[in-house]
Amino acid sequence: MATDTAAPQIDVAPPRGWRTWFTQENIITTIVGLIVAVAVIVPLIALVINSFLVLDDLGFDTEWGLQNYREVFQGRVIRKALINTAIISTGCTILATLLGVSLAWINARTNCPFREKLEPFNLIPFFLSPFVGAIAWHNLASPKVGLLNNMAKSIFGISFPLFNVNNLWGVIWVTGIFFAPLVYLFVVGSLRRMDPSLEDSARTTGAGLFRTTMTITLPLVTPAILSGAIIVFVTTAGEFGVPFKLSAPFGWETLTTQIFTKAVGDDANHYLGAAMSMVVGVVTAFFIWVQHRIIAPRSYTTVTGKGFRPNLIDLGGWKWLAFTYNMLYVCVAVFLPIICLFFVSLHKIWSGRIIWSELTFWNYQKVLFFWWPESIQAATNGIINSFILAFGGASIAMVVAIIVSYMIHRTKGFGARLLDFLSVIPIGFPGIVLAMGVLVTYIRTPIYATLWILLLGYITRFFPYGQRNISSIMMAVSEELDQSSRMAGASWLTTLRRITIPLLKPGIFAGWILLFVIFLRELSISIILYSAGTETLSVGVYYLSNFENEPMTSALSIAQTVALLICIVIFRKVAGKEALTA
Amino acid sequence: MSFVEIKKLVKSFGPEVAVAGIDLSVEQGEFVTLLGPSGCGKTTTLRCIAGLEHPDSGDIQIEGDYVTSVSNEVFLTPEERNLGMVFQSYAVWPHMTVFDNVAYGLRIRRETRAAIKEKTTKALDLVGLGHLAERYATKLSGGQRQRVALARAIVYNPKVVLFDEPLSNLDAKLREHMRIELTRLQHDVGITSIYVTHDQTEALVMSDRVVVMDKGVIQQIGDPESIYAEPTNAFVANFIGVANLMEGKLLGHDGELTDLEIPLGDGRAPIRLRATGAEGAPVGAKIILSIRPEDILLHLEKPAEAMNLIEGEVIDTVYLGNFLDCQVQVGPHEVGVQIDHFEELDTGQKVYLSFTPDHGLCLTE
Repeated sequence: MATDTAAPQIDVAPPRGWRTWFTQENIITTIVGLIVAVAVIVPLIALVINSFLVLDDLGFDTEWGLQNYREVFQGRVIRKALINTAIISTGCTILATLLGVSLAWINARTNCPFREKLEPFNLIPFFLSPFVGAIAWHNLASPKVGLLNNMAKSIFGISFPLFNVNNLWGVIWVTGIFFAPLVYLFVVGSLRRMDPSLEDSARTTGAGLFRTTMTITLPLVTPAILSGAIIVFVTTAGEFGVPFKLSAPFGWETLTTQIFTKAVGDDANHYLGAAMSMVVGVVTAFFIWVQHRIIAPRSYTTVTGKGFRPNLIDLGGWKWLAFTYNMLYVCVAVFLPIICLFFVSLHKIWSGRIIWSELTFWNYQKVLFFWWPESIQAATNGIINSFILAFGGASIAMVVAIIVSYMIHRTKGFGARLLDFLSVIPIGFPGIVLAMGVLVTYIRTPIYATLWILLLGYITRFFPYGQRNISSIMMAVSEELDQSSRMAGASWLTTLRRITIPLLKPGIFAGWILLFVIFLRELSISIILYSAGTETLSVGVYYLSNFENEPMTSALSIAQTVALLICIVIFRKVAGKEALTA
Repeated sequence: MSFVEIKKLVKSFGPEVAVAGIDLSVEQGEFVTLLGPSGCGKTTTLRCIAGLEHPDSGDIQIEGDYVTSVSNEVFLTPEERNLGMVFQSYAVWPHMTVFDNVAYGLRIRRETRAAIKEKTTKALDLVGLGHLAERYATKLSGGQRQRVALARAIVYNPKVVLFDEPLSNLDAKLREHMRIELTRLQHDVGITSIYVTHDQTEALVMSDRVVVMDKGVIQQIGDPESIYAEPTNAFVANFIGVANLMEGKLLGHDGELTDLEIPLGDGRAPIRLRATGAEGAPVGAKIILSIRPEDILLHLEKPAEAMNLIEGEVIDTVYLGNFLDCQVQVGPHEVGVQIDHFEELDTGQKVYLSFTPDHGLCLTE
């Protein structure tokens, strides 16, 4: 019966003290926030504007119009590329989802033998370059120089080529096996964090094992599966290297290979390229929006869930089938491509068969010995540039990521919401699309044709990956730890340096290595923004593949792969097993 | 001018007014507790003092200097205020040792190595953690972390120490222990303290003065005895201890005493009672009678003579160890009675309640 004492209604005057606004915290976060906003938004606006500019027949003047879009949807070549892109993305999504879900289930929920040993290998393709994968599979299964085809011929006497990856199926195959880990990562986390009592309840009501898996387990991880599938679809739509290597030379163009020809080369038309980029970007951004706003919030398993010990299913004799299946995947996705590339790289000329007497390391000298006058500049430049870009880019991107995460999680108001939004946008646009935007924005500035434009493109596109790494830790660390430091007399910057950053250290380092890996293999941004002298590793591989021969290409590919594998080992040491499966 | 002066403090979060114009002064060396239910604005008030929130309007002065003044555009950052704060989550930095945690504020203040060593050791000894100086915070128990947080907050001799529900994460026994220890420490060090809690026992045991808050407004300020014995309104009476509150009508004043009647409804005659309080209220005014469960006597037989006799029926009894908690139905009211003589009481049994006039307090709205 306590009587209510009503709170008096007070007219609150808006805070007036603008002079009190100038604190370290406000100044630094505002500057970084503005830089991020400009870096993300300006290229996209430039892309929109340029897509409505039509180049005249002489190629000098432009006028406003919709001609570019008409060309995309009605022009014979580009329309076919659009259809091919849709086919590849759909096919790859189906293949990668089937592979990813089945492998995740085997590793997380069955008693498949050696699954702890196999799991890291399932994730290796995630870190490697799909472009290199395509080169490897070209050498494994193209009709003429394919190692597998030639082995089939010499061992079984099969005269016609058994495999042919120089078509859309080949692109689907390579992207499918390389993007399966994306689905795997989404699903395996969900499977591991699932409350086992959900399944136990089904079992106690009389549902069998199979039925429980089908009616309880799989439906519970459906949001994770859908999220993974969408990411794969979007990634494939923006994938440049694989179709460029496998299908484009044989008449199967995709939108990305078409954008590339419009960005560089003899019939460059940035305006048409911008329009094509817009089409890809609108579709991918829409899918990412669906994933973020509709699917992810419906996820049944939460990150903050307790550490459950999931139910393991005894497969009985079938466990060896599961093991074989998993081994097969690791073979076609990791071992076979790397071994094949290695053998190709040891030949001076590759004819589709291993000639033991002619093995040589000569190709490695040509592509790695940058001090050697006869080395190939595009390749050696690429190595040096890529390490500069990966080191500098990862470092700057992580600084940006820390400040952005800080603003999102530790400040309130418009700035925090804006940045939260801004750090999703780059994920929605494939590298090649964003690079097209960066190209048309900065082509008339001094940073064009320097490493800076590449750095800008890399950071803009990929800082959200670092930001997610930081954010997940920042959400788990109490804000009061920072505030105690302020109360003890430390300034905002001192607190950041002595409390916040040390607490985030594991996340910062894991994020840094992840970005380092991504930058070291980056192709679709680099291919648009590079120029003579600013080649990157993947551009070097592209150059060798286009203008030199397969053995040299393979040699540089192996060099890149080894560097990436070293990073994976470090990443696993630093970030721990669960780091990626959040 | 008091040591800490808060004037007309207002803070809202969007449409929600958390603190609706608070005036409060705290003397040097005083231990003041802000007490109230969650959402009453006590923590927001504390965070405004700390500089962790920007108030919408109002002034805060410490030692005569403005630390926050919205009208004068003064806002000192938290680190410029020289305060200490103990957080609910302890917020002991896990990447530092106990010693480094406590020494942090001294290092920020660029004290000499020797001074840091001496002061930190002294503070750690004060909270009884001298032997754990080199241990990492992650290896400590909740109570130990609490002590680290405390040592860290007082080591650089801040002007005021702010406590944000520091004991709420401890288990009951440890909480009681820490309560005593904190009080002793505060008296020894003599540091000005502002303490936020929702636990009335904590507030009553530890404070020099208690500030009861609800809905962003101060309901009553006073020393623990007066808050408990003389609540000024129904909210305070109900929140501080469990009080029986019954609505009634004032009939008249008789010197110190007040006559009143409580309607029972259903056509039954109202009961007439004598109590204290509501001195200024006119005859016929609506009042609320507050009686604490431990001040009510329960009789099995109708006593020959007793003041304020009320008839009722037992609804429920709960055995609570050292006493029995008995609910008695009186008309529409459920009256809680605490008894320490353990009679057999059956549900539905008729009993008689009585209390002396000085235990019944009339409150006006």
